[in-house]
Amino acid sequence: MKLLIVEDQTKTGQYLRQGLSEAGFNADLVADGITGQQLALSGDYALLILDVMLPGRDGWQILQAVRDAGLETPVLFLTARDAVQDRVHGLELGADDYLVKPFAFSELLARVRSLLRRGSSMQQETSLQLADLRLDLIRRRVERSGRRIDLTAKEFALLEMLLRRQGEVLPKSLIASQVWDMNFDSDTNVIEVAIRRLRIKIDDDFPSKLIHTVRGMGYVLEERSL
Amino acid sequence: MKARWSLSSRLALLFAACTAVVSLFAGVLFSRGSEAHFIELDQQLLEGKLTGLRRALRDLDAEQTQRRLEDELSRQADLALRVKGDDGVRWYDSSIRIPARLPETPGLSTLNDGDVDYRVLNAPLFPDRPDSPQLTLLLDITHHQHFLQRMQRLIWLTVGLSALATALLGAWAARRALRPLRRMGAIAGSVSARSLTARLPQEQMPAELAELAHSINAMLARLDDAFQRLSAFSADIAHELRTPLSNLLTHTQVTLTRERSPEDYREALHSNLEELQWMAQLVNDMLYLAKADHGLLAPNREALQLAAEVDMLLEFFAPLAEDANVHMSRSGDGRIEGDRNMLRRALSNLLDNAVRFTPDGGEVRVRIVDAARGVNISVENSGDGISAELLPRLFDRFYRADPARQEGSSEHAGLGLAITRSIIRAHDGQIHCESADGWTRFLIELPKRD
Repeated sequence: MKLLIVEDQTKTGQYLRQGLSEAGFNADLVADGITGQQLALSGDYALLILDVMLPGRDGWQILQAVRDAGLETPVLFLTARDAVQDRVHGLELGADDYLVKPFAFSELLARVRSLLRRGSSMQQETSLQLADLRLDLIRRRVERSGRRIDLTAKEFALLEMLLRRQGEVLPKSLIASQVWDMNFDSDTNVIEVAIRRLRIKIDDDFPSKLIHTVRGMGYVLEERSL
Repeated sequence: MKARWSLSSRLALLFAACTAVVSLFAGVLFSRGSEAHFIELDQQLLEGKLTGLRRALRDLDAEQTQRRLEDELSRQADLALRVKGDDGVRWYDSSIRIPARLPETPGLSTLNDGDVDYRVLNAPLFPDRPDSPQLTLLLDITHHQHFLQRMQRLIWLTVGLSALATALLGAWAARRALRPLRRMGAIAGSVSARSLTARLPQEQMPAELAELAHSINAMLARLDDAFQRLSAFSADIAHELRTPLSNLLTHTQVTLTRERSPEDYREALHSNLEELQWMAQLVNDMLYLAKADHGLLAPNREALQLAAEVDMLLEFFAPLAEDANVHMSRSGDGRIEGDRNMLRRALSNLLDNAVRFTPDGGEVRVRIVDAARGVNISVENSGDGISAELLPRLFDRFYRADPARQEGSSEHAGLGLAITRSIIRAHDGQIHCESADGWTRFLIELPKRD
């Protein structure tokens, strides 16, 4: 799966490409708007990551050209400016998501994955599973090693998200947004507490832990060898 | 053009004009009065002479008449006489200098003939006979007229001089009277970003200027306050960033001083990441506040059911509250047009604070009151409360009521309440805090849109 990054700030671009490559994506990086537009119009990419301010052609113009060419490629904008008009402008032109610098890379990765997943058809799962943890989506029940675990509605939603995106590091802001629909910057430690409480129910009584904290980035649900 | 004239010049000119008008008026009155007086005197004199002359002329002895007439006239050197028949033929002129044409009107009149001025009195010789010969008495009044002319020149001179004098005196007086204004100007001129503490001496100002001085002082006080806050804000930013930056520098340098295990490097990077994230959050929050300061926070206006919004927030904070053993509740409901995410953020900052400062087993209550003009939301928590002198500073940037959280590196930069207030203000609302009887209460008033 190939991604295109158009970013004129060399360091930012290189770090983005490195980070995305290591996350398993094949990413091309260009630094100017004109080359960026040519590549974007080739249709070879599954996702475009565009900086707004670019030499040659700015991000808006590239997006416009892509949509005019009838391409549905998802587009994620990066911008240093957080003006409301910018955001509205971008969404009107058909941008799919929007990140304001400075952003955390984990946030970018999570959003990239969300955008790529959006296209693929979601099969109707009836249950989710990792190791001996099993989540029954129909009866809203959770079991681990055959033992029933009682969760509140929000804890269930949180665990469901972790399970659906197992192996991905999920930043706190993304969790707050997806589980509680809280779409704002917040320095509250609600998510930490919620994860801690979920851990008590899911992990505490079992030798192998499934919920892991990635310091400074977020949380991940995965099976790790002891 | 007029606007460029100084106040003193205007006042001086005004004074001068007033003086000129008044002295001119007085002069004209005086001059008219003297002229009337002269006319009266002349009339008396001429009528007296007329009686004498009539008597002299009644004698029909021609020679005697002539002598008596000359006798009568010689007593008054400036007097001349012309006698005409009732048919207009000149019978007699006492002097050759008498002008040929004289006024015909009966009674007193004035005549100017070259350099000489005359007062002329026409009267019949025999008042009771219609065909009587006509007497014309001429009195040389040139010296009177000269006197009057001198007087007039004197009057004009007085008008001019007194106007000039008042203009000068007026200018001086005006400059003196306007001295407080110049002092105000000097003080205002000394005000700069570095010295906003200068104040006008209000008590020493004349009554007319005291009000202006008061307004200017109030303006200076407001500027000073805003400027102090701004300076403090900049200093605070530097201070807040300095702590994590120095942590980063030290930690990175120490880590690089020698070879370490991958775990150590990972630990170092994680630690740096935490500092960096804290800084990124701080910068984002400050940008948010800067946008609010520039009026760039433009809230979306969507219809919000506040009970539902608050319930969602309470659900969000439920893990935190349960952990802290704090009971949370909501009462009332209200509808408002506002920005969902912004208002959630504002309320979430209040709830986060409330939960943090509520003691074990305490309570956090959200009350919504839907009034006609707006919606009032109060977020209150039980606990020790905040002392009254700290309440006004609560919404200041970087202000932390909890001294334990003074330094950076804590999770809370102390911008939460400032952001909340900015959001409420962007919605044209107000927020304030009160603390009494073991309850701390944040009151939000959001106006309804018409």
